[in-house]
Parts: sequence; C-alpha cells; structure tokens
Amino acid sequence: MEILIYGAVTSAIYAMLAVGFTLIFGVARVLNLAHGSFYALGAYGTYVLTSVVGLPLWLAALLAIAGVALFGVVVEKVLIRPLRSSQLGVLMITLAVSLVVEQTLFLVFGSEYRNVPAFVETKVSLGGVDVAGQRLLTLAVAGVAIGALYLFIQKTRLGSAILAISQDAEAAKYMGIPSDRIFSLVMAISASLAALAGILAGPFLSVQPSMHLLPIVKAFAIVVVGGLGSIPGSILAAFMLGYAETFVGYQFSTSWTEIVSVLATLLMLIFRPAGIFGKRSAF
Amino acid sequence: MKRLCLALTNWSHALLALPLVLAAFAAGAQEKPIKIGVPTAVQLQVGRDTLTAIKMAVDEINKKGGLLGRKLEYVTADETENPETGISAIKKLVSDEKVDVLIGGYTSGVTLAQLPHIASSKTIYLGVGAASPSITAKVKNDYDNYKYIFRVGPINAAHQARALVDYISHFVIGELGYKKIAIVGENAKWVQDLVPVLSKGAKEVGADIRLTELFDTQTSDFSPLLAKVKSSGAQYMIVVLSHGSSDVFAKQWHDAQVPVPYGGIDVKSMDGDFFNRIGGKSISEVAANFAVRAPLTKKTIPFFDSFKKASPNYPVYTAFFAYDAVFLYADAVKRAGSFDTEKVIKEIEKTRLEGIVGEISFDEFHDVQTGPGKANLIFVQWQEKGERAVLYPKELRTGNFILPPWMRK
Amino acid sequence: MAAFKKMDKLSGAGGVLALVSLALLPVVFSGSYLVGVLTVAAIYGIWAVSWDFMSGLTGRENFGHSLFIGVGAYAAGFLNGQMGWGPWWSLPASMLVATLFGLLLGVPTLRLKGPYFALAMLSAAVIMQRLMLIFWEQTGGEEGIQDIAPLIKNHLHYYWFVLACLGVTTALLSWLARSRWGLILRAIKGDEATCMAAGLPVTRYKIISLIISAAFAGLGGALYAHYQLQVSPQLFAVVMSITIITMVYVGGIGTIFGPVGGALLLTLMTEGLRNFGEWRLMIYSLLLIFILFFLPNGIVAPIWKKIRQAWPAGAHQGRHTDV
Repeated sequence: MEILIYGAVTSAIYAMLAVGFTLIFGVARVLNLAHGSFYALGAYGTYVLTSVVGLPLWLAALLAIAGVALFGVVVEKVLIRPLRSSQLGVLMITLAVSLVVEQTLFLVFGSEYRNVPAFVETKVSLGGVDVAGQRLLTLAVAGVAIGALYLFIQKTRLGSAILAISQDAEAAKYMGIPSDRIFSLVMAISASLAALAGILAGPFLSVQPSMHLLPIVKAFAIVVVGGLGSIPGSILAAFMLGYAETFVGYQFSTSWTEIVSVLATLLMLIFRPAGIFGKRSAF
Repeated sequence: MKRLCLALTNWSHALLALPLVLAAFAAGAQEKPIKIGVPTAVQLQVGRDTLTAIKMAVDEINKKGGLLGRKLEYVTADETENPETGISAIKKLVSDEKVDVLIGGYTSGVTLAQLPHIASSKTIYLGVGAASPSITAKVKNDYDNYKYIFRVGPINAAHQARALVDYISHFVIGELGYKKIAIVGENAKWVQDLVPVLSKGAKEVGADIRLTELFDTQTSDFSPLLAKVKSSGAQYMIVVLSHGSSDVFAKQWHDAQVPVPYGGIDVKSMDGDFFNRIGGKSISEVAANFAVRAPLTKKTIPFFDSFKKASPNYPVYTAFFAYDAVFLYADAVKRAGSFDTEKVIKEIEKTRLEGIVGEISFDEFHDVQTGPGKANLIFVQWQEKGERAVLYPKELRTGNFILPPWMRK
Repeated sequence: MAAFKKMDKLSGAGGVLALVSLALLPVVFSGSYLVGVLTVAAIYGIWAVSWDFMSGLTGRENFGHSLFIGVGAYAAGFLNGQMGWGPWWSLPASMLVATLFGLLLGVPTLRLKGPYFALAMLSAAVIMQRLMLIFWEQTGGEEGIQDIAPLIKNHLHYYWFVLACLGVTTALLSWLARSRWGLILRAIKGDEATCMAAGLPVTRYKIISLIISAAFAGLGGALYAHYQLQVSPQLFAVVMSITIITMVYVGGIGTIFGPVGGALLLTLMTEGLRNFGEWRLMIYSLLLIFILFFLPNGIVAPIWKKIRQAWPAGAHQGRHTDV
C-alpha cells in the first residue's frame, strides 16, 4: 500500500520534470541540461520570497514560477538560439548555465539545506499508511497541471501550432507559424512545470545548490524510455520509473534505486531506441 | 626551425638564472612566519568553523608574541568531499604554499586518499574531522613513513560506536525501557567501520536489533526507509549520519509522524541553527556532540563565548579540535625548542593538553584517546524552541527526555 | 590526396616544439606543485585526444567516456593496490580491460543513431559508478582503492613519462586521423547512409574507433591511478565525461591536437582560479559560457590555423583545408 502511494507521488514529480523536458526537445530539438536549474530556482525562489520578503506562500509560489519562466525564456533567446545549429553546443551551454546557477545559489545561500515551507502541514492516513499532506498535494497538483497542459495542446490553436512545429519545423514555418515565438512559449511552459515541481517537492525533498543534478538525470532517463518528444510517453515512463524505484527501495534497499532508472534507459536504448511512444528513431 | 631552437635554448638559460637571483633576495628577507595549511571543506559548516577556530587560536598566540619569536599564519585549500580535489589541495599546500604543518580534514575517504601524499612530503598532519580508524592504522602499520599523522579529533569510529553502546545500554534501555532498536546510517567509510562494532556491542547489552540499514549518501527520499523502520517494530531509531541529508531526514520523519523517536550521531544536527532552519522539525532528536556550553574544562565556556563573537553560529566539532590542535602544536614546538619535524613529533606524542572537550592525549598510534576527563560523546536533545538539553552522561544532565509531539498522550 | 596522407612537416615541428616546451616548463619554474598540475593536465590531454578520435571524427558524441577511464584506473587499482602486482603491469592491463568494455558496449549501441549512443554511454557510465558503490566490500566503495604504488617515484621523471605517452598517443591518433581510416570516419560523420550504400562496413569502423578510443582512455586511467595513488568512483562520474568534452570543445573538435591545448588550458585554469576561493567554480563556469558562445570552434585549433596561414613557407597554403 505504501508503495502505491509513495510511488504515485514520486512518479508525479518525475512526470512534471519529464514532460517539460520532452516538450522543449520535441518542439525545438533542444536537450536542455539546465532544466534541473528551473527546478532548483523554483524552490529557492519560493524560499526567498517567503522567508526574506515575507510574502504569503501562494503568492510567493506564483511569483517564483513566473520568474523562472521568464528566466527560461531569456536563456533560450540569448544563449540557446544562436547555437542551435550544433546540438552539442546547445548541450554544453545549457550545462554551463546550470553550473552558473548552482554556483550563484551556493554563493548567495551557502551549502546548507534551506527550508521551503509546505502548503499543507498535516499528516494524512490513507489506507493505513501515514503520508505527509504535502506529498498528496503534490500528486494532485501534478495531475491538474499535466492534464491542463495536455488539453491546451490538443484543444487550442496555439497548442496545434506547437504540435505542428514538433512534427515538421520547416513546414510549420511555411504555414506562417511564428516558430521563434512558439519556442519561447514552450520554454516558458517547460520551465514553469519544473519550477512547480521544485516548489511542491521542496518542502519534503532536499533544497541545496546542487539539487538540479538528480532531476535532470531522472528526466533524461524517463524521456528516453518514453520516447523523446512524446508527452504521453513521458507520463507513462515517469510512472513506470517512479514505481520501479519505489518498489526497489521498499523491497530491497535504496542503494539500488538509482540503477533502476539508468538500467531501464540503457536497456530501452539497446532494444527499442525510439522509446515506448517515440515516433522516429533517428533525427 | 634551427633559429627557433636556438632562441628557445637561449631563453631557457636566461630563465634558469632567475630563480637563483630570487633566492638570493629571499635569503636576505626577515624571519619567516610559520604557515599552517588548512585542508578542509570550505563550503560546509565544518570547514568554516575549522577556519574560524584556527584564526582564533592563531590570533591569541600571535598576541602573546608568536611561537619561538615567529608569527603564525594560516592558509586554506578546499578539499571538498572528493578525493581528487583533496589530493590536489594537499599538493597545493605542501608544494606551492610550503606550509609547516597541516591542520584540517573532514571526510575520511578524502583523508585516506591524501595520506600517501602527506607522508611523502614529511609534513605533520593534525586531523580534526575524520573518524575512520584506518587513518591511524597506517601509523601502526608503517610508523616510519606515516609518523607525521595524528588525529586530534573526533574520537575514532570504534570509540564512537562504544559510546553509542553505552548510551543505548544505560539510557535507551536503562531509562527509557526501549529494547527494540533500529540502526540506520549513511553508507560512508566511517559508518561502515562503526556499525559492526555498534551492533555487536548493542546485542551484548541486551538490545533487540530489528533492522540495520545503510542508505546512500545521496538519498533524498527516506519514506521507504522510515516505513521499514516503523514496520520493523523498533521502539527507537539509532542514526549514524554525517554527509547525508540530515535536514531532509528530520523533516520527512516529522511530517510522516513516524512513531519512533530517534537519536545517535548526526553531524549536521550539531549545528546550532539546525533546529531553526528546518522549522523545528528535529524536535526530540538526540544528537551526539563533543561539547556544549558547559564547564567540561576551564576552556570550554570561554571558547564558546569567543567563538560566538567571531561567527554567527555555535561551533561544530571540528572547531574544538582545530583550536586545540594549534595550541598543542605550539606547545610541542616550545618543548622541543625547535621546529625540526622529528623532534616536534616526539613532543606531540607526549601531549597532555587541557583542551575544550577534555584532556587531549594520544595513544601509541597517534589516535586521540577517550575516557573519563578526555574527549567523549555527550548526548544532547533538541527540545522546545530550539533549546538543547544534555541527557547523557548523567553527571552532565541538564534536562529530561521529551517525546516527539505526536507521541505524547 | 597524397598530401593528406602524410603529416606535414609544419604540424610535426609544431608538435615537437610544444612537447619540448611542456617538458621544460617545470624545470624552468621549479616546484613540484607545477609538475603535479602539468601531469594531471597531460593525462587529461590523453583522455581528450582519445575522445576526439572517436567522437570528434565520427560525430557520435560519447557521453560515457569516463567509463573507460574508470575501468582502466580500477584495473590498475585491483592489480596493484589489491593484488600487489608490479605497477608496470597496469598499463597493458588497463588498455586491455578498457578495450573489452569498448567492445562490450560498442557492439549493441553503435548501431543507434543520434543522441541515443550518447545517452547509452552515459547510462553505462552511471551504472558502473553505482556498481562500484553497491559492491563496496570488494571495490572499496566511496573512497575506493588506496595504496597504489607510483610507477616512477621522481615526480619530474614521471611527468616526462606521461608527456611521452601523450606525445605518442597524439601522434598515433593524428596519423590515423589523416589516413584513409580517418577519412572514412569523417565520411560517416557527414552522411552515414551514403557510406552504407557504398558498401562500407560502417558499424565495424565505428566499433573499432571506439575500441581505440577506449584503449587510450584506459591507459590514461592507469597513469592517473599511479599518480594519485588511489582510485575512487568519482572517476566514473558524468562530470568527468563532461569536463573532457569541454576540453575537446575548447581545443577544437575533430582536430586531435586541439584537445591537448584544451586540456592544458582548462586544467591550468581550474588550478589557477584556486586563489579566488569560493568564486572559483563560478568564474570557471562563466568563462566556459563565454568560450562556448563566442568561440564555437574552440581556441587552440583556430589559433594554430592562423599561425600556419601566417607562416612564410607559402607552399603549404591552400593545400590543406583543415589541420
């Protein structure tokens, strides 16, 4: 029972991270290694706005998300776009950005863990399992956010534009779709999701300057397994991986959980590189 | 091409002369200060406090005229928690800065990696942070090469294990009546050294060990672990934590309201602001410490007060030993009457210094001794409003044990 | 085409001059600290060159290069540190072990296109690192294997030995890169499908170049183990692979010799920035962004190109399009 609930929470966080990551890759072919930094900045932003500035939590959270989204857009416009011709170049510069963010956080806040306040402080007992209320809230919000995103992409015009670009960027341009603006929008959405994950998970996971590393490794794994560029694939893979990890953690020992996701990636790559839902196997 | 080679040769000859000229200048310079090299994790609290404490000691000695007429200076190099960086930090201090003595250390793995390099440089090393017995085992197995290594603190992992066993036997079982315990620790070298001694000792004093688990230092989600502890039927959880995420552990334990109180060795919990920075969620946790602001020796309270002036927080364990290390080095040099390494080592071996946590003295393998009047673990509990009360040993008790809020009737 | 086969005299001379200057540097500026830094830089140079040979030429970026480095280093650790074999055995042993791993990983993954090979290698390296930690009783866990004996006790002499290895590696791989072999690898980078259509055993070439790359990375790993006198799982870390790729990038991808300069530059920069204390990594990252942004072709290779073009021996101009 615990595995069911904790697994769901873990999967929800992973899903938020993975969906954003796969979105920006599917649309703009950008492997954004700074994605973890959005996660970190969401958590730290909320921390600063609540402890230092003293804003109420919900306002701090909203502002933090907006701030991170803006940061994402700026990074995309200024640093990524000029280097788009070289995939390696984009990778390297997003990596450098993540390092700068990490170092800035470290210099400003120090290496010790910070406390991001939780939205919900109570404990909930679900089916005989004690769960922190915040974790359940994370699950709920993640579901809503991803659901909203999915509807957005399927039902709105802007959403179709995004789909169009991800399928064929050239053709989309000929159709008059402003790809540059769409890239910015997608980056903003991607960053916001990551920041939201950071704000929700911050209270019960660790908040320290190098917190961006683990999420990016997990996001990579999930996106590969689910299929680069496929949102349903990422969600499914996120749950598969989240549950696999939780299961291994409970039954065996936590040392093996890291290997689960990475091994899954490796095996998937060897046997079915396109992932579960990946549309194309080569780029 | 030929001309180029010729030019290069001429330049090399010219440049070779330069060091000779510089050396001549240096010889004419004043009496050099004594340099203390501090390899430590500068980005962590343990590192910062090591440096603050050394600065305090150096300033005090310099005010009284220095050491044998020479001023003391210190220089630091970041060893992080990574052996590669640790080794290059030692090289920087020893070869580039040419320090006279090394005081520092934190991660046992890093210190172990640094040892051969320290030994080959024949520089005295006074460790203040790493607990693995393997470090001083080198002194035992190869005295001639490794005699430069001393551990001023903390007491090694085996001693710590025995101290924990005492706590379990007299307090957890003896006073609280909890026989069923769980042992949880991070998978670092010093813990791997400590847990077997702990398990054996605990069983001998009548504990029923329900669960022993070592988790990865990188772990950030402890819910599987905490759930396992709960379902194992343990009444008390003994923790052994240093590098891992004690903050997150405490928060998750608190938020899930795990009905098992915990305590043990938790380095991050030694930080004075630990309680506050996690919103008070470590309430009722018992953490081992080497000293609190109590008259353990004549120097304890003055040290705490001076430290608080120099730093916004109360000192962590490396500070006590770093401060004492500077003084014991100075004393040894005074007794030896010279800075000659061999002579100083002989004097350091004979050290009996009234330090901050107790009397500092070394066993035959250069390891700090424990026992009555010497360095010992004190068990301190986080109580309401971030107050700390000493629970064990009984002689030093300042308060009573409290249960976590959700376990009170 | 004939000109393409031979390594032209200018490059050769340049290489010798660079090697000699590097060898003399610590003699001139004496101090074992500099020797230490340069030794590490030279080893990183070997790693960077080996990476460039495979990934720079074929365009198949290998994000798990640290795996070959790690297994080479651990081979030295096990043989010498744990089993007590003489340290010189580590060199061929590490190359052998790394080659085996190259084969093991290359065969299933090199038929993958695009970023998949990169990710597969990355995953493999992470798994190896994890395994080293999980089986800590055999591998020494977080602090790895200690008590490895040095190959050559004298620091300066060891440095010269490592430098010699670097020289041989660079020369050998440069020669290969300029040979028909290198031509095929570059063709694969350009258009793999056409190569396949032309009947070239593309996958076989890729695998062999990976093996060669792995062998030299493993050699570097052993040299490193005998310098640090210990090995730890950090060697397998992603950070290691990325550091090396950055060095190659800064030096100039695909040039083979450029990465040597990149390795030197970045290692010296990392150590040189120590004086900035806490700001060290921040400045390093900012400089990196600067280089990546404004100098996408790297620093070392383009500078060398400019030197060559300015060289009065005009006969060389126009004959070669790159390096």
